[in-house]
Amino acid sequence: MFACIHVPNLARSLSLADFAYGFSPLVEEVRSNTVVIDVDGCELLFGSAYQLATDIARRAKAPKVSGGLEGPVNVAIAENPDAAIHAATRLKGITFVSPGEELTCLGEFPIEALESSLVDVEQKVAGEITETLRLWGVRTFQDLASLPVAGVSERLGQEGIRLQQLAAGKTERHLKVKQPAPVFSNSIELDHALNELEPLSFVFARLLNQLCATLDAYALSTNELKVQMQLEDLTSHDRTLSLPYPMRDPKVFLKLLLLEMEKHPPAAAVKAVSMTCDPVKPRTLQHGLFVPLAPSPDKLELTLARLAKLVGDQNIGSPVLLDTHRPDAFSVKRFVLENRSDGRKRKRKKTDDERAATAARKPPSLGFRVFRPPLRAVVQVDRGLPAQISAWDKQRSVYGKVVEVAGPWRTTGDWWRDDRWARDEWDVALQLGKAGSEQQAIYRIYRELNNGAWFVEGNYD
Amino acid sequence: MYIELHTRSAFSFLEGASVPEEIIAAGLALEMSALALLDRDGVYGAPRFHLAGKKNGVKAHIGAEISVKNPLFKSHTCSLPLLVKTRQGYQNLCRLITLMKLRVPKHAKTGQCSVTSEELAAHAEGLVCLTGSFDGPVAAALNRGNADCGKQTQRTVDWLVDVFGKENVYAELQRHFDREEEARNQAVIEVARRNQLPLLATNGVCHATPAQREVSDVFTCIRNHVRLATAGRLLARNSERYLKSGDLMRKIFADLPEAIDRTVELSSRLAFTLEDLGYEFPRYSVPDGETMTSFLRKRTEEGARWRYTGMHGMPTYERARPQLERELKLIEKLKLEGYFLIVWDIVQFCRREGILVQGRGSAANSAVCYSLGITAVDPIGMDLLFERFLSEERGEWPDIDLDLPSGDKREKAIQYVYECYGKLGAAMTANVITYRGRSAAREVGKALDFDDDTLSRLARLVHTWEWKDPKDSSERQFRDAGLDLSNARIRKFFQLYQMVQDLPRHLGQHSGGMVICQGQLDSIVPLEPAAMPGRVVVQWDKEDCADLGLIKVDLLGLGMMAVLEDSIQLIRESYGEEVDLAHLPQDDEGVYQALQTADTIGLFQVESRAQMSCLPRLRPRKFYDIVVQVAIIRPGPIVGNMVHPYLKRRQGREPATYAHPGLEPILKRTLGIPLFQEQLLRMAMVCAGFTGGEAEELRRAFGFKRSEARMKAIEVKLRQGLQKNGITGKTQDEIVLAISSFALYGFPESHAASFALLAYASAYLKCNYLAAFTTAMLNNQPMGFYQPFTLVKDAQRHGLKVLPIDITRSDWLCTIEETSGECGDGETGEWGDASRRLAMRLGLKYVRGLSQQSGEAIVRERSRRAFAGIDDLCNRVAELRKDELRKLAAVGALNFIQDGRVNRRDALWQVERVTRAAGELYEELLEKDGDTPLLPMSVTERVDADFRGTGLTIGKHPVAYHRAELTKLDALRAIDIRKLRDGSFVRVAGWVIVRQRPGTAKGFMFLTLEDETGVSNIIVTPRLFDRYRVELVEHPFLLIEGALQNQDNVISVKAKHIQPLSFKVAATASHDFH
Repeated sequence: MFACIHVPNLARSLSLADFAYGFSPLVEEVRSNTVVIDVDGCELLFGSAYQLATDIARRAKAPKVSGGLEGPVNVAIAENPDAAIHAATRLKGITFVSPGEELTCLGEFPIEALESSLVDVEQKVAGEITETLRLWGVRTFQDLASLPVAGVSERLGQEGIRLQQLAAGKTERHLKVKQPAPVFSNSIELDHALNELEPLSFVFARLLNQLCATLDAYALSTNELKVQMQLEDLTSHDRTLSLPYPMRDPKVFLKLLLLEMEKHPPAAAVKAVSMTCDPVKPRTLQHGLFVPLAPSPDKLELTLARLAKLVGDQNIGSPVLLDTHRPDAFSVKRFVLENRSDGRKRKRKKTDDERAATAARKPPSLGFRVFRPPLRAVVQVDRGLPAQISAWDKQRSVYGKVVEVAGPWRTTGDWWRDDRWARDEWDVALQLGKAGSEQQAIYRIYRELNNGAWFVEGNYD
Repeated sequence: MYIELHTRSAFSFLEGASVPEEIIAAGLALEMSALALLDRDGVYGAPRFHLAGKKNGVKAHIGAEISVKNPLFKSHTCSLPLLVKTRQGYQNLCRLITLMKLRVPKHAKTGQCSVTSEELAAHAEGLVCLTGSFDGPVAAALNRGNADCGKQTQRTVDWLVDVFGKENVYAELQRHFDREEEARNQAVIEVARRNQLPLLATNGVCHATPAQREVSDVFTCIRNHVRLATAGRLLARNSERYLKSGDLMRKIFADLPEAIDRTVELSSRLAFTLEDLGYEFPRYSVPDGETMTSFLRKRTEEGARWRYTGMHGMPTYERARPQLERELKLIEKLKLEGYFLIVWDIVQFCRREGILVQGRGSAANSAVCYSLGITAVDPIGMDLLFERFLSEERGEWPDIDLDLPSGDKREKAIQYVYECYGKLGAAMTANVITYRGRSAAREVGKALDFDDDTLSRLARLVHTWEWKDPKDSSERQFRDAGLDLSNARIRKFFQLYQMVQDLPRHLGQHSGGMVICQGQLDSIVPLEPAAMPGRVVVQWDKEDCADLGLIKVDLLGLGMMAVLEDSIQLIRESYGEEVDLAHLPQDDEGVYQALQTADTIGLFQVESRAQMSCLPRLRPRKFYDIVVQVAIIRPGPIVGNMVHPYLKRRQGREPATYAHPGLEPILKRTLGIPLFQEQLLRMAMVCAGFTGGEAEELRRAFGFKRSEARMKAIEVKLRQGLQKNGITGKTQDEIVLAISSFALYGFPESHAASFALLAYASAYLKCNYLAAFTTAMLNNQPMGFYQPFTLVKDAQRHGLKVLPIDITRSDWLCTIEETSGECGDGETGEWGDASRRLAMRLGLKYVRGLSQQSGEAIVRERSRRAFAGIDDLCNRVAELRKDELRKLAAVGALNFIQDGRVNRRDALWQVERVTRAAGELYEELLEKDGDTPLLPMSVTERVDADFRGTGLTIGKHPVAYHRAELTKLDALRAIDIRKLRDGSFVRVAGWVIVRQRPGTAKGFMFLTLEDETGVSNIIVTPRLFDRYRVELVEHPFLLIEGALQNQDNVISVKAKHIQPLSFKVAATASHDFH
């Protein structure tokens, strides 16, 4: 026999499956608010099936702290799980469906109640069956059950027969027993709040060891570790370690976490710690025979974390040019080792001769040395063109008469944003030293068009 | 002095941000004596550019940027700017564009559409070539960036010189303050000096003003399907591609003054303008010994003798002759004989092929057109003004529109024209689709990267209903949509949204306008493929063609023409009578009775709710009354407050007065109220001193594509003219309102007369041949104002028996059958004795989801041998899918397959079996036919299945099944409220068949409710609409309480309370007018 427990309005915080485990270890979770349990063999514990149903209903009314569901439930007992499910979802209170009397109980149920049984069927076929039943005027379980089996089989195939058996309450199947899902989180509440990193590192190590052991058990890794700390001042301090590659080495995690904590220490002593990770498949990598060895990802991560601690998060990584006309626009992206496993696809290295030939074809170009930050300049203008420049800061100074000028080169953009830009650039040759001196240098200067300020951006080598 | 010779307009479709008029205006402000327009692969904007230039005294040079396959670099397409020097050059340019466009489908990707270097060489005569900008061939060679680039550049220059000749190649220099561009310029200068090519400065203009760079950037995003934030370097580097003054250009090119001077020199070499288009309407080939003039005269005389018989109130031939002579003389003087003969030839073709055809529009003012059989309205009998059609003074081409049955037959006529004049001799006119309303909001919003929710809100700002509250300022609209105009991004959206309004978006196809040409049309205007297979369109729209003197013939599809044609055929086959639309009895009592009582469902032009509410007041008694009726219910007269004064005057409740004594001769016929376009034009001429041409300009300014700026300008002119003639104050306002409010939507009298003929014909057929008319109406759906369900119920109320869909009898289309003589649904028939013995059989076309192929296969198989059963049907008609069989069974079409021994459920039970192979296991369990365990459908189930399966029911009206409940709620039937007094408080219930909230009704909503006895009209005030918006818009069945209004037999209920009714019928959607 099977008992179905259905709670029409189940609070989100409650778990019906957990409640059902109190009566039988064999639980099928149909929906979050509907479960079926196998009650065969429970007689010694709970008495007759009816007594069991009464017990379920009674315990369900109990508060959450006492293991209850804080409200009434529908319980139906039947010879097969599906009849029990249908009865419990449509009938209030306790229902006992006697074997052989299923249709008496289920017969008036609307046929739409069977639609959920078609979820596994191809959508088009399911739609056709529903439409056919509607056209046939089949409105209740009784209507469907009373159709000739051969006729239904001929017309609706095996799905039709299954629906008819469901309507008649005559299905036979095993429960799809619910397996508890693995948990990838761990937490600890401390007796005494800790305000130093060293004792906290032992707590971290313990949690990480357990977490990585769980990952190991399921042959998984993680590339994101979330750590939440409850502080003495009743606030929380959250850190997230994002890794470019999935890992599960607790030692590496611990080092990274400690570095992170050094960079971002909590504001108060830590009372409790919890850790969660997103499990992902581990990274599999086949190294090439002729590919030079790169540092292992975990070591690289540690090195980068140490460097970030020294120079700041924003100042470490690889520079990337941005696709914009905005001058000198770039961003820093996280440094990641390129996957060089597929050596065959890489371009063949050019020989020295080829390099020389390419260089010969390219027109000669000047190298440009950018001043960061640019030098604020005072520029004298003659008929719209720069004539004399003087600019300096602690490291360098630029001044002289402009002997040659090219420009302006105008860029304007991002007009739809608040930080729109507009500037005119000039390439100028300055006569260095005293008048008559032949020493020259070429600089790039620019003027912000929105405020008229002049800058020296750099010089050409 | 500087002339800009490289300008792109918004007609480069998403590659330019200003319309040609803006470019000319900017050029004029900068004192440029000439400008050149070079749009991308087309001369789409050339007519507007030319006309604007002509108006402002700026010489408009024409050219285009042509995509050319670069012969030096395989698979590279470059853009070559070409300027037209001579007419030969223009013709070559048009042919080049046509060649490239017709080679690929309409929506070909960039790069696919280009000309080869050989084609370029063959069409280079008369063209001047510039070496181009960043996408030109020289830039392509320089961009190679290798040691050979010098050689490649030289070879490119050699190629261009070889194709165009040294004197026609100019080294183009553009300076937009860009390093790379300047490096390229230096290389171009070097190569030009080496080859002694002249340098030419241009600015590669993409927008008239610097501010329009933002629109240009937005267009770049739309073109590349990116957002502004992610477009990166696709966007312009700066805003320098605007039209710059000569002084500024001279300063920019201070080191190369000769490049500036050369612009003036080149401009002086470009002799061609669109004034010298060389268009000639094709000559009609006449038999030996005839000239076009003599041939036209003979055909006119033959026709006139046939038309003007002096019988049935028609004028005699002698009376018509002076008018015909006058018209013919003018036609000969304007050399338009060919045009008339070609249109006559198309009409003859239609007659030969049995295609109903009728001219409309101003052509109906011509007695020659009437005599040639082009139009069906006698202008002499109706005293119509010939000058509205053709006038020497106006100096423009006549416009003949032909109405044809929509669908295949119209296509046949179009293909005939292509056949006669060749694919390159005739083409459809284009329709330039512009950014407006929702499309503008959505695309600008996308470029600014608004999320989907905001985009929807922005799009909703553009009202769905036609009605717009005058208090609806943009700020209010934005606020209502939850958008804050103080937010910079929203404000930017608002600016851009306004800037893109009316800019061209893409080229569509006009519904029916065809341009034909003597010789090759592709030398007059480039042709390109339309989206529809077998169609070719020109690059100019209807107005542009008219402006440049290209004569067009409109071949328009009209659903009612198809209905009339089918009706005549059905009458011939089923009634054994021949109906000639040209000779229908003029004073059919039934027709006027139906019109006076607004019993006009299904009739052409007079079936709408507004027409129905006007008909009992106007009470048409003669044909001219129908002409007025057709013209009066238009937005123009309604907005201009002309309907009520006219009706009052007609009913004798107020005297006919005239705003100005000069208006009396013009308006006498319509009791002092202007109703027709001709009257408005003449008002403008008489009161404001407009010339014929100016009056026509006025009509166009208020035409289909209204431009605010254009309308404002013409209104100022109108007021100045009125002022000059001493018409001021209120009278001036009245006249301006009358003209401005309906120059657009007012009908020309001749047009109204043509439509009135069709209205009369449809009424005559409905009153006398109900079965044929209803059958034809149902066979030509969708058309008209009402759903098929309403048409069927209306026909049934008038006594037509409608037979169900029956697989053993029904054809694909609805047909007429002889019956025993009972009327449908036991109701009493009113109309047409013949209808009493003829019934309409619904066709298989009405089974939703049944393909025409399957339907026709059923009919074909049945004609061989009757179906023995559903098994037999399934076996013999292989085209039938399972779902189609199921649909046939559900609507009862299979009930008669075994002599009516099966019901719908039996059929459904059997259908499911026959469509599934039983397999060996079931061989012994085979059921007998009819052995079904299912219960027959109840009445409600049948109605529901009818609506789901066919969208109509021939049984009782769905409301009739609920009459007992409705009676308990004190709801009256539509027929009952007609007997009640004005002001009575009533309740009516019914099915909403039409919802309307017209722009002219100040926020009022109109509903048409239908029940088993007819329709009732409901008026909903704006306040009530706001209160019951959901019920009014979404619920199919409503119970409405309110005060009955019965004025001059026009009955309506002014709603006070609205309640939805939950009848369980799968109601079809109402016809909603937004």
